[in-house]
Amino acid sequence: MTAPAVPAGAGGVVVARRQPGLLRQILRRPDGLAGAAILLVFTVLAVIPDILTGPLQTAITATGPRLAPPSVEFPLGTDELGRSMLNLTVHATRISMVIGLLATLVTVLIGAVLGIVSGYVGGRFDALVMRIADFFLVIPTFVLAIILTAIIRDVLGTGSREIFGIRLSLITIVVVIGITSWSSTARIIRSQTLSLKERAFVDRARVVGAGAGHIMRRHILPNVTNLIVANAVLTFAGAILTETTLSFVGLGDPFQPSWGQLLDAARTVGAPGLGAWWYFMPAGVGIVLVVFAFTLLGSALDAILNPKLQSRR
Amino acid sequence: MPQPPRTRAVRSIAVLALVGGLLLPAAAPAAAADPLILRVGTDQKLETLNPWHSVTVADYEIFQLQYDLLVSFGQNLEPSPGFADTWESSDDALTHTFHIRDGMKWSDGEPATCEDARWTYQFVLDVVASETGYVGSGYLEPYLTNTGAKTVTCTDASTLVVETEFPTTLLTQAYIPILPKHIWSQYTQEQIGDAEADGFFVNEPPVVGSGPYVAVEWEPGQFIRMARNENYWGKAGAADEVIFQTFAGSDTMVQALKAGAVDYIRGISADLWDALEGEPDIATVEGFSNGYSYLSWNTKGNSEGYNGSTSALTDVAFRDALGYALDLDKLVDATLAGHGVAGDSQVPPYHAKWYVQPAERRTFDLAEADRRLTAAGYTRNAAGNRVDKDGKEINLRLTWPDSEEEMATNAQFIQGWFAELGITVDAYVTEEGKLLSDLVGPGLDGTADWDFYMWGWVGDPDPMSLLSFFTSFQIDNLNDSFYANARYDELFELQQRATDEAQRHALIQEMQEIFYRDSPYHVLYYDNVLDAYRTDKFVGWINQPPEGGTPIFGYGYPGYLALIDAASVTPEPTAAPTEAPTASEGAATPAPSADGGPASGGDNTTILLLAAVVAIVTIVVVGLLMARRRSAAPTEDE
Amino acid sequence: MGLQYVLRRVATAIFTIVLIVLLNFLLFRAMPGSPERILLGRMPGVTPQILQETRERWGLDKPLVPDQLVRYVASTLQGDLGFSYSARGRPVTDVLAQRLGPTLLLFGLGEAFAIVMGLVLGAYSGWKRGGVVDYVGNGVSLILYSTPYFLLGMGLLLVFATGLGWFPTFGMSTAGATYAGPVDRLVDYGSHLVLPLATVALGLIGQYAILMRSSVIETLGEDYVTTARAMGFRDTRVLRHHALPNAMLPTVTLVAINLGYVVAGAITVEVVFNWPGLGTLTVDALSSRDYPVLQGVFLLLSVAVVFANLAADLIYGVLDPRVRT
Repeated sequence: MTAPAVPAGAGGVVVARRQPGLLRQILRRPDGLAGAAILLVFTVLAVIPDILTGPLQTAITATGPRLAPPSVEFPLGTDELGRSMLNLTVHATRISMVIGLLATLVTVLIGAVLGIVSGYVGGRFDALVMRIADFFLVIPTFVLAIILTAIIRDVLGTGSREIFGIRLSLITIVVVIGITSWSSTARIIRSQTLSLKERAFVDRARVVGAGAGHIMRRHILPNVTNLIVANAVLTFAGAILTETTLSFVGLGDPFQPSWGQLLDAARTVGAPGLGAWWYFMPAGVGIVLVVFAFTLLGSALDAILNPKLQSRR
Repeated sequence: MPQPPRTRAVRSIAVLALVGGLLLPAAAPAAAADPLILRVGTDQKLETLNPWHSVTVADYEIFQLQYDLLVSFGQNLEPSPGFADTWESSDDALTHTFHIRDGMKWSDGEPATCEDARWTYQFVLDVVASETGYVGSGYLEPYLTNTGAKTVTCTDASTLVVETEFPTTLLTQAYIPILPKHIWSQYTQEQIGDAEADGFFVNEPPVVGSGPYVAVEWEPGQFIRMARNENYWGKAGAADEVIFQTFAGSDTMVQALKAGAVDYIRGISADLWDALEGEPDIATVEGFSNGYSYLSWNTKGNSEGYNGSTSALTDVAFRDALGYALDLDKLVDATLAGHGVAGDSQVPPYHAKWYVQPAERRTFDLAEADRRLTAAGYTRNAAGNRVDKDGKEINLRLTWPDSEEEMATNAQFIQGWFAELGITVDAYVTEEGKLLSDLVGPGLDGTADWDFYMWGWVGDPDPMSLLSFFTSFQIDNLNDSFYANARYDELFELQQRATDEAQRHALIQEMQEIFYRDSPYHVLYYDNVLDAYRTDKFVGWINQPPEGGTPIFGYGYPGYLALIDAASVTPEPTAAPTEAPTASEGAATPAPSADGGPASGGDNTTILLLAAVVAIVTIVVVGLLMARRRSAAPTEDE
Repeated sequence: MGLQYVLRRVATAIFTIVLIVLLNFLLFRAMPGSPERILLGRMPGVTPQILQETRERWGLDKPLVPDQLVRYVASTLQGDLGFSYSARGRPVTDVLAQRLGPTLLLFGLGEAFAIVMGLVLGAYSGWKRGGVVDYVGNGVSLILYSTPYFLLGMGLLLVFATGLGWFPTFGMSTAGATYAGPVDRLVDYGSHLVLPLATVALGLIGQYAILMRSSVIETLGEDYVTTARAMGFRDTRVLRHHALPNAMLPTVTLVAINLGYVVAGAITVEVVFNWPGLGTLTVDALSSRDYPVLQGVFLLLSVAVVFANLAADLIYGVLDPRVRT
């Protein structure tokens, strides 16, 4: 059996084409609007941190005093190296968001490909994939993530090479999140594929002689795109939480602080006991707001894509 | 032997609760016939009562409280009575006689005699001679083997005679607990030394010991409760019990100290320690470190079997030049918040008797580093990058174990400084287990696949172990830089046998000079130990040594016995310290600021946090309310 | 319920456990650092002979498959999980046993609280849809749902322990305390339990509330309920007899599905409060490279979650006649 991988671009193009309609629908809903607005703010922070706060400060380029409270010069105070917390937090936004985004892409790519192929092809392949998916759904993935991080870091290496501006040590986290969280996406996409498979237009295509790869790409994929988008939104929130938690237990990279890494650093320095609230509050608020925004978006999408639920209200 | 870097591993990451302090009244349930308890907080795990498995500073503290050393340490680290009362060596320093106190008893009432000491020392000698060669996961055996001890005999019930292969003064420094033979001889070497053997001797409480306190309760990993040994041979300590408690991090520990839930805390992080300054009834103490953090070079570079990235690593001139590119004072300021001393010698200044500052200390001077590199033949290429003598660009890999989080700060600086010299530094943390494997050289089937890395060592009362890491005999063992120098080896053996202090000093001085000149390591800094204790429950805290020491967690136990019940000296005895701020208002302590002081930081935080939470909730609720109102229209459309 | 259904579920669970054991074996053979070096990590005077002996003793000189695998599976089946590196001399099973109780206590109670309070809150806000409780409850549920457990715990700690001083901040009891009586002991343990318990319950409550709310709303939309209400049946009766049973099924599923996620929460909540359970054990084992313990934790938690899921499936079968075949 052939299992043609869906090129990452294909899904993206379709999404892009469909987005205006979906986006307008989202923005018309209050929860969608609120979620989108919050995300827009954080996206701006993530895209142009250098313009907003200058390049990421290091131990060498730091200019402030040790653990200074907020002031005019340092609106969010400084850390123990005298770096501006505003600078760090904004750059951490970028790191957290990029890791979240990459992890989501990996997760959704694995989940969607396996879901569509397994649903369409069926048979033993389907049974195997779904057993494995069930396995990942059941086991405590966080403990697995902790263990995998050590192993994958060993495989990828930990040097300062960067991919998409992210150090290898953090790319590890992306991979780990991908491995541990693809299963629910795969399950959802698969069940949608199963029902699409029985539809008339797929039958017609098959009768005309279209290959399995063609049908999956041209007929199934476009019809599960919305579902993929909705799933990606929730995956993104989960990815941010997982990254944060992994960093908090010490698996982050101090050379590229994410929000979780900042919280870990704050804990190490003893910021709470020192009353240095400015050290951990910005990152904490950032995490909650972003996850909250994704949750709102998720519920908006859910309502839009599951009109059944909507009409019943 | 030292407690190698692994010690610190346990100390550092552990995990942490963010904020702490036992403030509840229920927290001090001892109300009735209150035993006077000294509560000691540490961030190290309390994982063993079997001294052969002691690794951390806390482990050592526990065993040395319950077991005497043959000769202990006094306030000035001078040899003082331990299991033996007096001792003398023959003129040739080959025969050493120890007089064991008469009538001494173990805590279970059995007589403690020369036979116990003999059995313990013989056990070590037998272990070292055996196939395994070591006992337990600790590092105690070399204390005896370093002395050249050959035979151990009891000439009578109170006289122990040790004969050594070569003249030595180190027997009084032997950090080996004398164990009760009637208990320990029931177990085989394997049962004592191998934690995974059948019938492993855990040494469950109640422990039988000869020291002032013995363990009576143990929750592995969490706390050890020790009660006064009524049979202790010396003056009884004021505290009826000593409890060692593991904390998850500095923050909780400090809160607990402020609240009076502990009386002494060990190893506080710098900023929290600074913030304790001026707290009522709390004294802070900064101890000089008997150890250091270092930058170790793979001095074999890329020679056969080794996998350093450049041949330059093997060149003393290269390493020397880079020494000028290290602003050690800056590292002390940034990484240690100023609580340490820039490093030079492998013998920390803590060893006032042995430490010699190098005559020509390198200073931070990037221009000088650049000049020296160029002079040594390491020039820049067109791109401005430094090239080695094989014409290859020098890109160094710098790493450190994940247990030493603060090293990341050092790495940021080093990366920046070396970049100015045209040397790219690839800095990354390595999982500790992997680092241990990576460091190993071909002698142990390893690949030595590294350039330079950071970690730390902790030393003993005698500088012996700290000197040994640079001898070639320790290659493939504790000499991780693969440094070999015949003169250094020779000096090491000479100082080991030197019985005249002045003579030994001269030898050790030369060793320090060679070390500094050849730079197998750059010692980054001697990191101070930051402790704090309460002064309202016990008084009489004295440091060991008085200059640069700490009251407890030293060598031997004089600090515990020096303590005095504060209630017995205060004119108006204060009630048992049940609660923190509120209670101290009524107490005799003239500290009106007591309730404002400790809480102010927290209050501030609390208010801000509450404000933030309220703000967020408000935003959400308002948002949702607005949302609802607006959503009414479209829903009806559908 | 049908025997076939039960058998199928049990077979799935066994299959999953086999996979877990295999994965556990492979993962820890892939951990960085050579095993014998890690085993000897703390030992001075390691010689090539000692390395070789260690390899032999642990069977590391034998091929991975089948020798090492067989050896691993055999000892795991016998309940032998090896020895902890850091807790010298203690079998992993002992270490796990010591930490299991506190975790069960904390998360058992936390789940119970969250379910009860979540269902009540959800039912009320669904019933009074559009009311103040609904808005506030919904907003708070979503915020709580978006907050990592450890942030929530840190917040509670900061306010109620450090700030107000109402509760102790760490551990499960006062170390070395001597209690006057059982009441004293209970008070001490109880006061230590409040904040971590609140964190767990708050972290979970939102999901149950949201679930119950939509179940109630759905039920209220059903024709027969509208009819019932029109016929004058009391609202509480409708709620109890229709909405609540409808919500029970998804709740059972959610508890099971959540378990894996709760474990992640467990780890961080325990870390924040220094609660002596499996979570702190995991992080300690991670930081001290105590691989046997980490392996044990993974095995224990995974198997526990599989059994919980199996139990949920079976309960589901009892509750819902449609899945009995």
